[in-house]
Amino acid sequence: MNKNNTLHLNKINMKPWLFLTPVFIMFSLFVFWPLLYTFYLSFFDWNMVSPTKTFVGIDNYISVLTNPTTYKIFLNTLFFIGILLLINLVVPYIFAFVLHLILNRLKGFYKTAIFLPAFISLVVGSILFTWILNPISGPIAEIAGWFGIQLPIWSQTEGLVIVVISLITSWKVFGYNFIMLYASISGISEEIIEAARLDGVPLHRIFLDIILPVSSSAGVYILIMTIVQGLQFVYTPISVITQGGPNYASSNLIYQSYNEGFILYRTGHSAALSIMTLLVFAILLLIEFKFVERGVHYEN
Amino acid sequence: MRTNSFLGILWHTIFILTVFILIFPIIFALGTSFKPLQEVYNNVLNIIPIAPTFDNYIGLFERLPMIQITMNTFTIATVVTIMKMLISFLAAYAFVYFDFKGKKFIYFIFIASIFIPFTVTMIPNYLIMSSWGLADSIFGVILPQISDAIGILLINQTMRSIPFSLIESARIDNISHSRIMIDIILPLIRPQLMSTGIWFFVNSWNEFVWPSLMLKSVDSYTLPLALQMFISAEGGTDLSVAMAVSIVTMIIPLLLYLVFQKYIIGTFTASGIK
Amino acid sequence: MKASMKLVSLLLLILLLAACGNSEASSDDTQNGEKTVVDYWHVNAETQGGQTVEELVKEFNESQDEIIVEPRYNSGMYQGLMQNLQAEAAAGNAPALVQIGWSYREYFSNNFHFIEPQEIIKNISEDEGYLEEKFLPNVLALAENNDGSQVGLPYSLSTPILYLNMDILNEAGVSPEDLTSWEAVKEAAKTISESTDNYGLYIAEAADNWNVQQLIESNDAAIINDGKAAFANEQGFEAYQLYADMITEDKSALHIGSDEGTQAFVTGDVGIAHLTIAQRKNISDNAAFEVSGVPSPAFDGEQLKVPAGGSLLAITTDDEEKQQAAWEFTKFLYEADSIAAWTEGTGYLPPTVDAVDNNDELKALMDEDTMMLSAYHQLENLVPWAPFPGGSGLQAEQLLIDMRDKILAGAPIEETMKATQEEINNLLQ
Repeated sequence: MNKNNTLHLNKINMKPWLFLTPVFIMFSLFVFWPLLYTFYLSFFDWNMVSPTKTFVGIDNYISVLTNPTTYKIFLNTLFFIGILLLINLVVPYIFAFVLHLILNRLKGFYKTAIFLPAFISLVVGSILFTWILNPISGPIAEIAGWFGIQLPIWSQTEGLVIVVISLITSWKVFGYNFIMLYASISGISEEIIEAARLDGVPLHRIFLDIILPVSSSAGVYILIMTIVQGLQFVYTPISVITQGGPNYASSNLIYQSYNEGFILYRTGHSAALSIMTLLVFAILLLIEFKFVERGVHYEN
Repeated sequence: MRTNSFLGILWHTIFILTVFILIFPIIFALGTSFKPLQEVYNNVLNIIPIAPTFDNYIGLFERLPMIQITMNTFTIATVVTIMKMLISFLAAYAFVYFDFKGKKFIYFIFIASIFIPFTVTMIPNYLIMSSWGLADSIFGVILPQISDAIGILLINQTMRSIPFSLIESARIDNISHSRIMIDIILPLIRPQLMSTGIWFFVNSWNEFVWPSLMLKSVDSYTLPLALQMFISAEGGTDLSVAMAVSIVTMIIPLLLYLVFQKYIIGTFTASGIK
Repeated sequence: MKASMKLVSLLLLILLLAACGNSEASSDDTQNGEKTVVDYWHVNAETQGGQTVEELVKEFNESQDEIIVEPRYNSGMYQGLMQNLQAEAAAGNAPALVQIGWSYREYFSNNFHFIEPQEIIKNISEDEGYLEEKFLPNVLALAENNDGSQVGLPYSLSTPILYLNMDILNEAGVSPEDLTSWEAVKEAAKTISESTDNYGLYIAEAADNWNVQQLIESNDAAIINDGKAAFANEQGFEAYQLYADMITEDKSALHIGSDEGTQAFVTGDVGIAHLTIAQRKNISDNAAFEVSGVPSPAFDGEQLKVPAGGSLLAITTDDEEKQQAAWEFTKFLYEADSIAAWTEGTGYLPPTVDAVDNNDELKALMDEDTMMLSAYHQLENLVPWAPFPGGSGLQAEQLLIDMRDKILAGAPIEETMKATQEEINNLLQ
């Protein structure tokens, strides 16, 4: 009868458009128009204050692309993504699997406790962890001192600073990813897993050959979300703790764009960087739409 | 089932450790907020203060208009949540129950907006709000926050879980759309909507970047902004008061979470991406 | 229809609620219809003078009926305030009175409106000679820009000193009298780190180049000369070499951000710290060890130079009534008792000549506290905090910070300094 679940009416229906009007207005005002305006600004030299903007064509883009710092920042961004995915995709996946299949008790407690930091401001988290992880005078440093271990000064160490900032961000992000992956895994039919177990299939094979493929749409969703939202989340600890330093070691595309825009007041540069970041994300978007939305139809 | 008990113990240990790492900072914040600053520096490991004091909280409420700040945070979060729920609900209804030209495309555009980093929209939004005279006001903070496509995504998923036949028969009986929304759909997905609402509320409550751009006078601050007042390069971070602010900031979201956690976790667990 | 009406009315109710909450905050403004409102922008967080600002403002507001001063805190110190000033200008507004960080003196005077105090005094006969009475010439000159205009008046004045953890120094056998030059400090730091479990020295690494300026200029190099960056010479290299060696070779100096580094000193993990006098209260209140202070050293045989930290007060409105009102408030801030309160609450030095003599508590403080003493005596060695001319001040400062981070991470000193100098000079054109 009605194949695609719609209230198909014969005449042109104004109703859906009516319902969509509020979102249209809000999004046009605060998302789509700003997007176009930023694109426009990327061709100008402006400091947000003076009444005149100087048209410079693609100079800003060239300046960004020829600046060696840009490549450092781009590599940092990739490094951030890598660490974030490791901590917030791989680990929660395994944890969700374990919670579903190996652990029998305290399930509710674990879920509640792990999801809890998601409800706390990351500003609070950043300040807390800066003190807790203070390599000279913080609590961890003191305990390490008992064992004669001296903590590296992570806020001044290239590479390590990105790891620590990612860890702080993950404190908040881990819970949501964990719950979502758990949701997907616990929805997998019991019989298949039972059958595999009775056949003596080892757990890690069950994970790789059954769980992963079947929950893949959730996996890809979390993958994409972690990259897109994670990179924006790390902005907060960077802003609170290192301000992109030392010497751009902890800066990424998003932070640098903000830095150019609201700290150095180079509006055109900031806009150009933002647009380029957008392109990178756009590619990720295409992947998401192919996998997840297709996955949805596949299930149906 | 019959799990290898060694594996069980191993994983329980790992989980307990993880929980400890995640929860410890909160307990630490609580303890520190009751310590005088001197103790914070010199008594680093004790979670329980040797000389507990309410001074940090009292001083905080005396020096800053904390009630006003909390009200600002609350008002912003409430308005944002309600507006987001409303427009997302309407939009989701249109996407789930109607077919129209360009639907796929439009849906795609909205979902695509999730991928737009905030740096792309922040400058123009800032300029728009300033030119509308909303620079230091809660409306300046509220309006752009409403355009969040995640709302459409979440409510979309939730609505799809309702058996279509229910809606179909209602339409056949010629029940109006508003009645369908309020009398049929709403009651069925109330727990999910509540959970989504709480999620929006807490996210807005904890939001820092956008309010920090918009709100400049202390009277209009939100709680996360009040927090960064206590971190000063010149005078040193007053960690004990900063922790007091942190705790005040945490209370409402944590309360909401702990009271409604069954619903919240249930909703997120059930929705999943199927 | 009824149902959608409910939805709509709910929506309206919410908007109404929000509007009420908003208008409450702004209704205060309309009540000040008769009085002149002076927006006073400052950077003093709760932990550093914020309370003093409130008290002073309150006292002033209560003492008369024509003017209401409304203070506004700006986070991110002087950099943050400049950003906000910029944003406000973008929206077409300006406050009446602002604190401008010394290193932003040029950037501010080139891009924003200000009125010279002399201009205002011209029209007030009773204030003739006010500036000469209140300020030492070299102190007043700090607030003069490269074109000779008096941008404002010096208000928050700080200098860097060496804070000493006497417990650690005693343990290591180092005496404050030993710390007569930077070379001597390097030796002492080495002794401390070798004979005790602690770091010998921490030089603050803030979001500015202030501490490094003191280091370099005390070796007779200059950050700016004739409007151009001029630090990449023999003396400059030598100064930075000493610094870098302490971190990378001797491993006696701590290399970490200023927040964590200061915390490390207060918890007793560092022997000597090169920090602003403005940290005095925080340190003496919270340290569990005996704290003392000595002046910043110079290099052997060179003249001591200390950059002025803090800010000047500038009147940025072009509304004549507000200018007068701002001036009245300014004079209040410079009264001996106000200055005494300011010094006590922030740790900044008194910028006026008459403060110490006219306020007993202040006098006592200056006489007894070694940290204050050290800072106060350096006032005659005050030099301006290198303010870069032109519109690229913000960027130039950032480049200096980057240079510091690179060198302390091990980059070759000569190369890096030369490259940075060139980059800055290219910007300044």
